[in-house]
Amino acid sequence: MASLAPYWRTYAEFWRLNFLTLAEYRANFFVWLVFTLVLHGSAIATIWLTMNRFPIMNGWTWQQVVFLYALYWLASSLNGTLFFTVGDVPWHIREGRFDRFMVRPLDPLFQIISQPGQIWPDELIVATIFFAIVQGLVHLQWTIGVAGLLLGAMVGGAFIDFAIQLAVATLAFWVVRLDTLRWVVMSLETDFTRYPLSIYNRVVRFTLSFIFPFAFINYFPASTLLHKTAQGDYAVNPLLGWLTPLIGALWFTAAYLFWRRGLDHHQSTGS
Amino acid sequence: MFTHIGSIALRVYLYYALWSALYANNGPQQSFSFKDIITYSVLALLVGLIYNVDGPYVVREKIREGNIAIDLMRPISVPLYVFADTVGQAGFALVQIAVALPIAIGLLALTGTHISAPASPLIALAFLVSVALGFLVNFFLDLLMATITFWTMEIFGFQLMVQFITSLLAGAVVPLQFFPSPVTAIAQASPFAAIYNAPLSIYLGKYQGPELLSTLALQAVWVVVFAVGALALWRVGERRVVVQGG
Repeated sequence: MASLAPYWRTYAEFWRLNFLTLAEYRANFFVWLVFTLVLHGSAIATIWLTMNRFPIMNGWTWQQVVFLYALYWLASSLNGTLFFTVGDVPWHIREGRFDRFMVRPLDPLFQIISQPGQIWPDELIVATIFFAIVQGLVHLQWTIGVAGLLLGAMVGGAFIDFAIQLAVATLAFWVVRLDTLRWVVMSLETDFTRYPLSIYNRVVRFTLSFIFPFAFINYFPASTLLHKTAQGDYAVNPLLGWLTPLIGALWFTAAYLFWRRGLDHHQSTGS
Repeated sequence: MFTHIGSIALRVYLYYALWSALYANNGPQQSFSFKDIITYSVLALLVGLIYNVDGPYVVREKIREGNIAIDLMRPISVPLYVFADTVGQAGFALVQIAVALPIAIGLLALTGTHISAPASPLIALAFLVSVALGFLVNFFLDLLMATITFWTMEIFGFQLMVQFITSLLAGAVVPLQFFPSPVTAIAQASPFAAIYNAPLSIYLGKYQGPELLSTLALQAVWVVVFAVGALALWRVGERRVVVQGG
């Protein structure tokens, strides 16, 4: 393994530049912060309003459904903070600007995720504060095990999110336009993860567990944490909640191997 | 086109799954049957195709790039041609609805669910009038947002925020009838209810006789309010461009 020093230096520089842009675009920063608050605020308000007349959703109260949201937001904002720019890959390829990543001496994927821009950890901070409030609403009993499971769900969940986005972005090496596919995956991710998995039919449950395993980001860990493990029809094996880091590692490995194939393909077309 | 149709199909299923779990767990609602909520959700998605046409988007871009000066010199009112353009795009949305409706009905039929037809031709007519009024409220709201660009230049984030709040208070996802009573009253009095909740409630026969007429009249009032507001603001903004020389 070659020296990692250039990587650390580049990565530190990447964050230094991000914070410099923060100082430069302060007004923009606040606009996006308010935007984030309104976006998530209206999603959470929708959950609350949906369940106003219907207090139970397959054994989940509205506070618990909001907990699902909070857990998902934690992982996805971690992914957004660390790996946001992977979504730009199809755009780089389409514009014919991807080649520059191939000729530089650092790993191309590393270069992609360290493209400086207006990337700030604001959403991660808001998501963490929100989670801190919601864990009180559901009376989460803190133990070392609970903390470990949460950490695993957050980091593993971020990698699941990253892996899926990387895989979809990699398709751009073969297909120039994939807006529809991206849209479907995004909808599965943001709309379908809002509610307990048990409300869906077998096909959707399978898809969300083993193809695009978004259920491991929030539903399975939350089921373990909130003891949704002995509820008759909706019982969930408590072990599943612990598997998020493993699923994250597996899916990320698969996505990375797919990405490497995409890179080879790109070389051969030489565009 | 495919993205829109696919998005409708996914959401029809999502709302079906959501509401069937909620109705099965919590029992029936006195004022809103399961069939009502499924019909409401499907219609909200379909009329959403019309409402999501953002015609004034062109204005926003042109003001930002400065090209608006050329349009202002032409011998036609800019708001008028933007309106004509929006109506044209809404016509295309009708084609999308014609494709999406059978897909939604077929998808629901697989689960043994059916959506209701309007109770009478009169209700159907009132629904169409109400959607048209909702379209106008929505158009003038978009135009108002676009007009603000004369002063702020960048409005995309703000407009998205207004969209989230609009769709919430309009009852685009959750019918206003399900909100806690005080919130329902506020939301129903807000102009946003004129966009989704009024036409959909009319379709479901929730308003009869005088109540139906007053709902339509209130929608018409909102059309006038937003039209006057947007056009007045447009006048002021237009002059600003002329003063600055484009």
